[in-house]
Amino acid sequence: MTVLKKGACFKRLIAMAGVVVIGGVAFLYSGLYSMGADDPHFDVTTWALETLRENSIARASQDIDVPSDLNSAERLLKGGADYNAMCAGCHLKPGKSESDFTLGLYPSPPNLADISRTDEDAKEEDQRNFWIIKHGIKASGMPSWAPGHDDTRIWNMVAFLKRLPGLTENQYQILTARGSNGASTH
Amino acid sequence: MMKKQFSVLIAVPALMLAFSVQAHSEKDHMKTAENPDCATLSAMDHSKMDMNDPVVMAMMQQCMSAMQDGSVESGDASSHGHDSDDASSHGHSEQMTGAGMAGDHMQTPSQ
Repeated sequence: MTVLKKGACFKRLIAMAGVVVIGGVAFLYSGLYSMGADDPHFDVTTWALETLRENSIARASQDIDVPSDLNSAERLLKGGADYNAMCAGCHLKPGKSESDFTLGLYPSPPNLADISRTDEDAKEEDQRNFWIIKHGIKASGMPSWAPGHDDTRIWNMVAFLKRLPGLTENQYQILTARGSNGASTH
Repeated sequence: MMKKQFSVLIAVPALMLAFSVQAHSEKDHMKTAENPDCATLSAMDHSKMDMNDPVVMAMMQQCMSAMQDGSVESGDASSHGHDSDDASSHGHSEQMTGAGMAGDHMQTPSQ
């Protein structure tokens, strides 16, 4: 008797799973989902995606070796020029609170000039930043910079990111300017 | 014959890789490069600056380099003419070792 009940219950579960799968596929093909960047996710979807992202990046970046000379003037100058050319449009700079990209991208790129950091999580933060710059983040607008940029160049940007939140507008301008011969001297 | 085909198979991806790297070279960004505005550095209160701070060292290094090349922004290069000559007589690393000296370089008549 109980064996029969268990069998019927199992069949119902299989049938329900089948309905969910068929319903899901039908939804994918229906075109009903809004893909617009101006139509935000439900809170639960945002939570799920952010949890997935943070744990994935933490796991992937935990074994990355951080160079000991990240706090050097050379790295700041090289990384600063690259940040200004490749990142500031989305991640802003001192004195700027928004751009067309921060207003239009979804999820909105973080303002890296206005992020507080603590010394306790400095290593994890450096590993995380390196991994994100190198690999990018799927479906977020953050590209992978690995093609065309070697690890040294990416670490230079990580070095600059460490000091960016404390920079004034004038300091930022001087550090990020390439000058007329920036490529050759730096 | 096989060897020739093999070398083509190696050469084509290698060339493609080289071109893709070149597409993001630092020289690419030079088209929109601006010069450092070192006049603002001269105007800063140097007594409150930590000359061992990498940010300050980097700014000094940047402006020294710009003065040597005469690429300082907003006509500042002309007012730093004397310093430029002076700076050129020192090595790059040497400039950064003497914090006081670097500060003196920035205390120019342009203020």
